[in-house]
Amino acid sequence: MAGATQKFGLVSLESFVEFRSLKMRGNKIVVGVYPYMDDLLKTVEKVKEKGLDYRVYSPTARQEIEDATMPEKSPVRRFTLIGGITGCICGWSLAILCSLDWPMRVSSKDIVSIPGFFVIGYELTILFAALATFLGLLHYCRIPDLFRKIGYDPRFSDNKFGIAVGVEHAELDQVRKTLLDSGAEDVDVRDGL
Amino acid sequence: MAKQCCESKNHEEPTVDYARVTELVNNMLKPPGAGWYALFFTCVVAVIWGGSCFAKQIMEGLHVAGINHPIGWGVYITNFVFWVGIAHSGTLISAVLFLFRAKFRMPIYRLAEAMTVFAVLTAGLFPLIHVGRPWFAYWLLPYPNERALWPNFRSPLLWDVFAVSTYLTVSTTFFIVGLIPDIASVRDKAKSSFRKMLYTVTSLGWTGSNSQWKHYMSAYLFFAGLATPLVVSVHSVVSWDFAVGLVPGWHATIFPPYFVAGAIFSGVGMVLTLIIPLRKVFHLEEIITPFHFEGMVKLILLTSGIVSYAYATEFYVAWFSNNLFERFQFWFRPFGDFKLAFWGMFTCNCIIPLTLWFKKLRSNIAYLFIVSIFINIGMWLERFNIIFTSLAREFIPAAWGGYNFSWVEVGITVGAFGWFGMYMCLFIKFFPAVSITEIKELLPPPVRKKLPVGH
Repeated sequence: MAGATQKFGLVSLESFVEFRSLKMRGNKIVVGVYPYMDDLLKTVEKVKEKGLDYRVYSPTARQEIEDATMPEKSPVRRFTLIGGITGCICGWSLAILCSLDWPMRVSSKDIVSIPGFFVIGYELTILFAALATFLGLLHYCRIPDLFRKIGYDPRFSDNKFGIAVGVEHAELDQVRKTLLDSGAEDVDVRDGL
Repeated sequence: MAKQCCESKNHEEPTVDYARVTELVNNMLKPPGAGWYALFFTCVVAVIWGGSCFAKQIMEGLHVAGINHPIGWGVYITNFVFWVGIAHSGTLISAVLFLFRAKFRMPIYRLAEAMTVFAVLTAGLFPLIHVGRPWFAYWLLPYPNERALWPNFRSPLLWDVFAVSTYLTVSTTFFIVGLIPDIASVRDKAKSSFRKMLYTVTSLGWTGSNSQWKHYMSAYLFFAGLATPLVVSVHSVVSWDFAVGLVPGWHATIFPPYFVAGAIFSGVGMVLTLIIPLRKVFHLEEIITPFHFEGMVKLILLTSGIVSYAYATEFYVAWFSNNLFERFQFWFRPFGDFKLAFWGMFTCNCIIPLTLWFKKLRSNIAYLFIVSIFINIGMWLERFNIIFTSLAREFIPAAWGGYNFSWVEVGITVGAFGWFGMYMCLFIKFFPAVSITEIKELLPPPVRKKLPVGH
């Protein structure tokens, strides 16, 4: 996903497909491997100034990287809210409609026993909210996607940081030099999608 | 030359680097030795014994168990409540302590989450075993049927179905989500083709890009926020299985907080029982330090205090109520037929944890392990006390009775421990039992220029 622009692929099937396509602008991808996080952050600033598409990799979540690349809130919360509201409605509806369908008086309680049905509504609220959050996570992280790892290097899950920059052929040498000068210990050029 | 970002304020927090964390956790996934095989096959034998006892019960009927009038809820329900309680602590450590930003949870929460999932799987067996005709268990679900019947939504037993099912689903989802980045880490180091394939599939293609971490951390926060009320609600619902009834000793409003605190207490004990040998066997002393055990001990002291207070409240309220049946019930518990169970519970849950106030004892890891075993025993006895003694002496003497323990129940109880142990053994050997990415999050990142302390 581009660091500079936000597309969340929810508006239409077309935008969803494009969102999942992992495409970066440019026909080449330059991948830099960094041992130090502050060098990476400097590189991110330089790449942003040039207006290039980029993706940053790290072994763990770091607030510094998040602030530099995606400071806005994640839309996963929308899934959680919609899931929770759906679950609440489903839970209460299930208990109330079933009780009205077979109106058996139990222990002198009301047919529609609000305190008694509270647990059902509560549990289904949490269940649906959690499952919706999981679906939102899968959507926005664009997983599962087992085989396409654009710009990925196995060292990024160990102790190295990385940046993958989408470039046109004409910008290739300049971007390579920028990454090397910024402290990359290794720079690789790959074909884009 | 790289310098550390800032010095650790607590010198007992992990001070390893990123590569060392990956190396230590990957070492846990090496092919197992004789010790693992011995433990695993012991668990499998226990499961087979438990399974054959269950088969005997199915073929001959529930009379082979000790369940009878008046103690209609016996060993199976005790085990059910015990295992659901064990599960709660895992969610507390992974979700609630995440919200509180408690650093001591980092290296232990993965194992605690695994404990949660496997404990709920174990607990879920017992209603099926207890009902005697498990092939009718689907009657609990609200499905349209030709008899025009619906389950009773006003019953705590049905609330339990929804609560425990929700808890299993949400805990498993939370567990899987937390595992994804760590499985990606071991995927990139896997050598055998089977493990490479397993981790490639289960990591879902995770790459750790900035956008993935962004959405992941947001989702994780929401999962933690959703799991937290579950910790409180699920064991409250389980406590209402008892409290909503009229039985003396059960019909008390203190049950929800009493059960929830007891659940966390028992679960923390079980986490210690699992993490101490794991740390020793896999040489995780650099990652799991005395700092982490100190946090666990504080949790034990807090929850032991709450449980002790709950016991005292039960006795006081029984006396204050001036209700003959309630007062007798709370005389019967410490002085009646099951007094050994009561005093065992009291000693294990109230007295032994008090020794952890002494620094010399709580700093001794071997002593902590022994205390954790006593906590597990004490909490099983607590559920035994609540269920057996109350049913054995309900109201008038015509309703009183005893219980004939049977080998079938013992076998199924041992089988349940084997079932839990079997899953834990498999998990420890195939998936990262310590969270790689969260420990790395705790560590200062590698930087070229040192930042000021506290940055």
